[in-house]
Amino acid sequence: MEEYPEELRTPPITLTSMVGCSDLHPLISTYLLSQQPPINNLALPDLSKINLFNKKKPDPDSIINSSSPPFIVNGIFKRDWLLKHRTKIPSVLAALFPTNHVFGDPSQWLQVCSDLDSIKSVIRARNIKLVVVLVHTNANDVVSEDRMIALRKRAELEAKYVVILNPNDESALQLSLNRLASIFSELSGVYYREEGRRVKQRIEKKNVSSVELIVRYCFKVAVYAEFRSDWTEALKFYEEAYHTLREIVGVTTRLPAVQRLVEIKSVSEQLHFKISTLLLHSGKVTEAVTWFRQHKNTYKRLVGAPEAIFVHWEWMSRQYLVFGELLETSSKITQNFPPVLVPSSKPLSEWEYYPAYYYQLAAHYLSEKRSVLELAISMSETPNEVDSGADSVGPSAYVGQFARLLEEGDNVDMQPLTDEEYTHYAVSEGKRFRDSLEIIALLKKAYDSYSIIKVQRMSSFCGFQMAKEYFAEGDIGNAKQIFDSIASLYRKEGWVTLLWEVLGYLRECSRKSGTIKDFVEYSLEMAALPISSDTGVQSDTGPAGPANLLQREIVHKEVFELVGEASVLTKNEDSSNLKITADESVQLEVDLVSPLRLVMLASVAFHEQTIKPGASTSITVSLISHLPLTVEIDQLEIQFNQSSCNFFITNAQKHQSVEGSDTQQKRTETAPSLLLVSNKWLRLTYDIQSDQSGKLECLSVIAKIGSHFAICCRAESPASLDSLPLWTLEDCIQTVPIKDPVLVFSGQKSTQVEEPDPQVDLVLGSSGPALVGEVFLVPVTLVSKGHDVYSGELKINLVDVKGGGLFSPRDSPYSTESHHVQLLGISGPEGEDDSHLDSDNIKKIQQSFGLISVPFIKNGDSWSCRLEIKWHRPKPIMLYVSLGYTPNNNESNAQMVHVHQNLQIEGNTAIVINHNYLMPFRRDPLLLAKNKQTSESDQNKQVSESDQKKQASESDQPESLPSNQKSVFIVSAKNCSEVPIRLKSISIEEEDGVERTCSIQHGNEDLSNPALLVAGEEFKKVFSISSNMNTSKLKLGTVCLRWRRDLGVGEKCASTTTLSSWVVTKEKVPDKNVELPPLIVSMECPPYAILGDPFTYYIRILNQTQLLQEIKYSLADAQSFVLCGYHNDTVYVLPKSEHIVSYKLVPLASGMQQLPRFSMTSVRYSAAYQPSNSSNSVFVFPSKPNFKTAASTNFRLEESIANE
Amino acid sequence: MIVCVAVVGHQNNPLYIQSFTEADDALKLHHIVHCSLDVVDERVNNPKKSGPMLNETFLGLLYPIENYKVYGYLTNTKVKFILVTTDLDVKDADVRNFFRRFHSAYVDAVSNPFHVPGKKITSRTFAERVSTIVKSFGFSSAA
Repeated sequence: MEEYPEELRTPPITLTSMVGCSDLHPLISTYLLSQQPPINNLALPDLSKINLFNKKKPDPDSIINSSSPPFIVNGIFKRDWLLKHRTKIPSVLAALFPTNHVFGDPSQWLQVCSDLDSIKSVIRARNIKLVVVLVHTNANDVVSEDRMIALRKRAELEAKYVVILNPNDESALQLSLNRLASIFSELSGVYYREEGRRVKQRIEKKNVSSVELIVRYCFKVAVYAEFRSDWTEALKFYEEAYHTLREIVGVTTRLPAVQRLVEIKSVSEQLHFKISTLLLHSGKVTEAVTWFRQHKNTYKRLVGAPEAIFVHWEWMSRQYLVFGELLETSSKITQNFPPVLVPSSKPLSEWEYYPAYYYQLAAHYLSEKRSVLELAISMSETPNEVDSGADSVGPSAYVGQFARLLEEGDNVDMQPLTDEEYTHYAVSEGKRFRDSLEIIALLKKAYDSYSIIKVQRMSSFCGFQMAKEYFAEGDIGNAKQIFDSIASLYRKEGWVTLLWEVLGYLRECSRKSGTIKDFVEYSLEMAALPISSDTGVQSDTGPAGPANLLQREIVHKEVFELVGEASVLTKNEDSSNLKITADESVQLEVDLVSPLRLVMLASVAFHEQTIKPGASTSITVSLISHLPLTVEIDQLEIQFNQSSCNFFITNAQKHQSVEGSDTQQKRTETAPSLLLVSNKWLRLTYDIQSDQSGKLECLSVIAKIGSHFAICCRAESPASLDSLPLWTLEDCIQTVPIKDPVLVFSGQKSTQVEEPDPQVDLVLGSSGPALVGEVFLVPVTLVSKGHDVYSGELKINLVDVKGGGLFSPRDSPYSTESHHVQLLGISGPEGEDDSHLDSDNIKKIQQSFGLISVPFIKNGDSWSCRLEIKWHRPKPIMLYVSLGYTPNNNESNAQMVHVHQNLQIEGNTAIVINHNYLMPFRRDPLLLAKNKQTSESDQNKQVSESDQKKQASESDQPESLPSNQKSVFIVSAKNCSEVPIRLKSISIEEEDGVERTCSIQHGNEDLSNPALLVAGEEFKKVFSISSNMNTSKLKLGTVCLRWRRDLGVGEKCASTTTLSSWVVTKEKVPDKNVELPPLIVSMECPPYAILGDPFTYYIRILNQTQLLQEIKYSLADAQSFVLCGYHNDTVYVLPKSEHIVSYKLVPLASGMQQLPRFSMTSVRYSAAYQPSNSSNSVFVFPSKPNFKTAASTNFRLEESIANE
Repeated sequence: MIVCVAVVGHQNNPLYIQSFTEADDALKLHHIVHCSLDVVDERVNNPKKSGPMLNETFLGLLYPIENYKVYGYLTNTKVKFILVTTDLDVKDADVRNFFRRFHSAYVDAVSNPFHVPGKKITSRTFAERVSTIVKSFGFSSAA
């Protein structure tokens, strides 16, 4: 595209001109250029230059117009016509006059008039439009209306085409510049339209003498349309010109045949370029591509004379290149790429939307051109001929025409050429260019472009052609790099023939650059390619030669001669670049991804997966090669990660070649023969043993062939053996590296050497389940039975049996209480002093992990310690203990031996605490809160009265307590573990920071002797509490239990020695509501009665309020008693006083008897009272009993409670 | 005239490739077949562009290159058939017909119990059948 002239490549820009007042020109020019669309301005310094616009000679068009004798058309387009209109002939001329000249004295005015006349005379011939600009020179200038009219008349202008410019006034200047610009664009539009119409008329009249002229006129119309941005019309006429031009082919005889075609193609090229540009700029990509295809198809067959055929190919190549470039720039701009395919009779393939496609074909045609040109050069090889004739040939005045320049003094004349002369000229021009560089550049464009859109095969193909060009040019470095990158694709996809070709080039590259290792690698890979039968690819131009078995063998032999000949002196001189001197050697590395796996593959399998140290096992080394000929290996070296295991296998037939002193120290085996037959496994089995525990892995197998050549294969396991990339596709039987069918699937190149058996016992003593809260001791004992223990380490791990952590996720993991189970510490051996181990020994103690070091234990000795573990919640855990040690004191050969032991330990809750409150016997306060609740539920549920009674009697946990009254608080502790427990004390302790709001009796004394609680037994303790006066909440504090596991026989001594081992369990007592009861009913009755013996039954009703209380009461009859007193009555109890109702009762039956049931109702509170069943019965003796003294105390106690 | 036919496997590896030209351009044809796999990939990966051809095995003209036209066909098992021809004016129906016959020949070849799937097709019968099909290409009556 760059070789086109600038005026063709860019869209035309309106050209204007101005003359006079040259100091203002820069200002106006820049302003016009900044317009949208821009306007070019030709500034003429003075009036004399205006003659530039004069027509030099009579216009041939005008001659035709005047129908003068037939005019001979010399060409289609004039070469400089477009340039002339873009840079020389303006559409509008602005004449600038200072106002003082116009409105000044008559002599100046006359000058202005004569200037105007001369301008008019020049521009009229060209139809150029005129604008007059008056420049204000002085603010005092008087604008005379008469002069203005006179000026307009002189200039033959309308008033609007006279602009007044005032350079001194900024805002007015902007306005007038703006106006000037709009006048310019308007007038230039008029100018181009008129010109276009003028030319169009000529076409329409159809009296044009030759077709060439029609093409030319269409072109002109289109250009004029472009000048005024009428793209549709421009496109239409360009296409018209193009089609008309197509008709000329074969019709015109104006020029000799070859040159005629050249001219037509050049013109069509220009027209096509314009059309494509316009189509692409308006976003019609599909149309553009279709157009190009037509263009290409139309001219493809117009090859022309055979001697100038290269001109055609060059032209074709240029078409592709230019269109590709256009497509690329437009796709960058429009971004609507690629478009959807339009279904049509001949659908476009999506490939035709890729610029790369065009670059690729441009390169193709250029290489075609090159080959034809080379032929033409060789045919016209006349070296002694003087090229002076060609030198003076140059482009003539018409597009696509060439002529001989004849210089005669100052006169330059053009002389037409004959076809021979032209061909000669073209050939000599062609010789000057290096086409291969151009081809490489084109291919590189295509290659990059394809790579960007990830079309890798196409780009590889371009790369291949590019690399071939580089190779031909002798640029080995570039060629090799590209060949390498595309070879990997062909390897991956298994295109053997293509790979063969590429490798052939690579081989030649390395041969030329003298890199022997590369040469050997490429050659061996070629030789090992799966090419068995004739693939049909015969001797191509490439250096690889035909792809068949014979050629593989030739390559194979060449390599092995090369690597083998180092010792012998080189015989053949042609491979002079490649020599191996005696002191250097070639070693090839074959790893898992190397293409050289085809050349040699080593599979290594241990026959056992684990072995004991010192015991021996078998190892099988299998080698396979796909080289076409048998290879004889001199020596194999097997390398392991434990270098002490390395060994050599030497060929018995070539024993003398084994050299080197280092092999003396290592193990050397001898094999009868090491012949590697093509595609057959060579299997070798040997014993191997290792003393070192850990992994024993075979790393590599090094095969030495001759003294200077070695192939180092990475060892591969048969179980995970990747199939060979290319050979798997071949239709041949797959063989396995090992005969043993089990090892084929499970054989590994590494084995595990076990560590020696531990000879130390690790015993975890367990003593049943642990109890929550206590420090649980787990004794750990190490007994050495054959090993000394050096630098032993004991690792302790606590793991939740159910999985998950040992701490609750709610709590922060760093607080000490957060762990449900916690490793507290490790204490020294049992029986010794109870002090903890030395701090140096304990390396680390965490909540669930511990690490301690074990001192040296001699063979036969033992050592023990105790783990202290504390449960915070009931939870089963798994305790893992492992010991690591070395059996000997040798630091360098430290082989750790490990013993593991684990134990599951349950953690149980030891004691469950319960508590409840009781009122004093036969004394019931009226608690309104409770009553309210029951009455509410009564309303809701319509519970019958008897049910209510039951509820009242059964709810032994009152919701609130009477204030200022004594009540009883019972704490019971139940042993729910499976072991007996000693209970030391139950006490109620104040909470920190919370004041207790009651007084407690029998509070905090320890039990005189720790009570023994067997499993399931319950222990109760009674406290009597009374709340303080002015409080609504009873805050008791925390129940605190001190207990420990019963130690059985050793209980006595243990209790004296370990005082601190009492476990404290705490439980908070919930707060209780307290309220003042308005009424308190208490019943008095003797503790027992005697049959027939009357006694008095008192009922005291205490009114604690300031109000008079109305009480209705009743007493039901009882079977076992005869009574006297009111059955029903209503009494009024005075404020703060007590009313006593008394009955006389005579028991009629003995045994436990129900007293007559007393019930009462407080009218004020609507509260009924009924005594509970237990408090409403009395025991009746048949006769007066004889109590012992002990009984009397009992009686007294009961009585005292009753009194309270 | 058909100059080359090919069967290409899942990994875009050639299973069968045969050229039918006198000239020594087999390698070039191999290159063309290999490049055409890019177009097949593109068609298969962007089915929306090719729209109506969604469920069709026949892929149509893959791309035009200098003097050749390349046609493609994709079986249900994702094996690709590629056809390179020098005829510039080919009827779609002829190509479809060719591929149909080629497909059945391929099916017969791989149905051989001694053929390992995924390996190159070396059957001589298949080669003979293919060359018959190739020779009869263009004569619609041969269907």
